[in-house]
Amino acid sequence: MKGHALGWQMLICVVLLVVWQWGYDLHEMAPDFVPDLLDPYFVSRPSDIMKQFLILSCLKSKMGLWNGWFDGQFGACMTKYENNLWMAMWVTLKTTFFGFLAGVSSGFVLGLALGRSAKLSAVFQPFITAVNSIPRIALAPLIVLAFGIGETSKIVTSWIVVVFLVFFNTFEGARSVDEGFINTARLLGASEWKITRTVIIPSTMTWLFASLTPAISFALIGVIVGEFIGAERGIGRLIIESEARGEAAGMMVAVIVLMIVGVVLSALIWRLQAYLLRWQAHYQRN
Amino acid sequence: MSETGRPKIEVRGLGKSFRFGGSTIDAVDDVSFSIRRGEFVALLGPSGSGKSTVLNMIATLLEPSRGEMFIDGNRVIPHRATPDVGYVFQRDTLFPWRTVAENIGYGLELAGVPKAEREARVAECVAQAGLKGFETAYPSSLSGGMRQRAALMRAIVVRPQVLLMDEPFGALDTHTKIDMHDVLLKIWDREQQTVLFVTHDLGEALTLADRIILFSARPGRIKESFEVDLPRPRDAVKLPETPRYAELFSRIWHSLGEEFVKGRAA
Ligand SMILES: Nc1ncnc2c1ncn2[C@@H]1O[C@H](COP(=O)(O)OP(=O)(O)OP(=O)(O)O)[C@@H](O)[C@H]1O
Ligand SMILES: [Mg+2]
Repeated sequence: MKGHALGWQMLICVVLLVVWQWGYDLHEMAPDFVPDLLDPYFVSRPSDIMKQFLILSCLKSKMGLWNGWFDGQFGACMTKYENNLWMAMWVTLKTTFFGFLAGVSSGFVLGLALGRSAKLSAVFQPFITAVNSIPRIALAPLIVLAFGIGETSKIVTSWIVVVFLVFFNTFEGARSVDEGFINTARLLGASEWKITRTVIIPSTMTWLFASLTPAISFALIGVIVGEFIGAERGIGRLIIESEARGEAAGMMVAVIVLMIVGVVLSALIWRLQAYLLRWQAHYQRN
Repeated sequence: MSETGRPKIEVRGLGKSFRFGGSTIDAVDDVSFSIRRGEFVALLGPSGSGKSTVLNMIATLLEPSRGEMFIDGNRVIPHRATPDVGYVFQRDTLFPWRTVAENIGYGLELAGVPKAEREARVAECVAQAGLKGFETAYPSSLSGGMRQRAALMRAIVVRPQVLLMDEPFGALDTHTKIDMHDVLLKIWDREQQTVLFVTHDLGEALTLADRIILFSARPGRIKESFEVDLPRPRDAVKLPETPRYAELFSRIWHSLGEEFVKGRAA
């Protein structure tokens, strides 16, 4: 059954690529029959994207010749183009990671604290609702202004979009911890701290993980938007540069790289979740 | 003072009122009883008669509105639990994120018992409960009966002197229930805990208890108290076939029936 699905998935990919590559040629050959979609000026085409990928990643020169590794051409290209694909990817990944980490950890701690303390949540509830109703990505220009065009502003942007997401999930999770579990622990002599560690945190994990997959995309969105507004390096910056030159292929390279990064990060989170939540019935079956 | 002379649990004039909406509900009113060390007492009564409320007050989970309680002559203070008192809930409260062995060992972990001793005691309990081979299983892959056995062991493993049980087998089928009675009676025979066992199943109360305290319909008051003079050790399967059992059953059943009728009318 699994092989069957894989076969279909490959077929769909091939068809999409073929249509994307040659669909527009067909239109030029028979303009009366084939509609004017997929103009390569806007959406590029697979072969151009591949070409652009090789150039942006310094594997080939702009003339279309392979950059040698040993004769130093690759190295020279990497230094000459500061925002080459590898550097851009590294910078974007790094800032995404730190933004994600900061957002998840602060959101989790805040969620636990407010979720378990009626007093704290009563005091802070209106503030959180107020801040939460700002579309936080709208703060990105302000953040870049405040923190400069370096990496800090990207980390802050992605933190601010992630933290609320994680906070609200953890908050709900911490509030809905089964009282039976807490009473059981208390009657067996658990201190408040032990209850937090052995009951509240484990039972909030499910809620936390439910927010992590969207959180990783949010973190990436935060960084990319930050880079759109002002950055020296990064995938977002690469997109802006390609746009300025009217190069759809360059933008497509960046988008595809982002897609792959997103898929890999989600898969990592899924693996972590399958391990940490292995006690849940649906992880035990496989 | 002599250890045997003093009751293990003593309850005097215990009462609890809940505020519900605008009005006050008297759930428990003027309940007094005392339980000897090592005695097995069943609290029997119709639904809503305040049995769980009484148990929860003794367990320090609920604050009484009136009256006082003593364990070993020491006043029970609300929200200050002692590990000497074990509690088994009616609802399954095994931690789903811990394996069977980790669940059973939880209390020992909290008490800071060294790992080697902990493992030995857990293994012993696992064997007693017939859970061998399931030590590393998570609760989600166990049957209801196995879960309840594990929950019972989690309370037993810390060797409490008092065991409070709130309809621990209420959700189990008759066959599994009888199995559980055997497991519980064996443990009790050996460790001689003082047990207060809430149930609304008369058969269960007769099989297990030395004494049955019958609660009246709301507000919960003690209606009558019955000594269960059936010989021990008891066999949970054969006991119901004895004439003395049948005699006690019909006597208490009659008294219980009156309360059910009252409960329905209220
Ligand atoms: N937290 C609460 N708030 C308000 N009323 C309550 C609360 N807990 C219990 N009561 C009321 O107190 C009464 C006794 O409840 P309790 O749970 O002690 O009954 P019970 O004898 O254990 O019944 P059952 O056999 O169904 O478990 C009930 O009428 C219930 O509605
Ligand atoms: Mg009850």
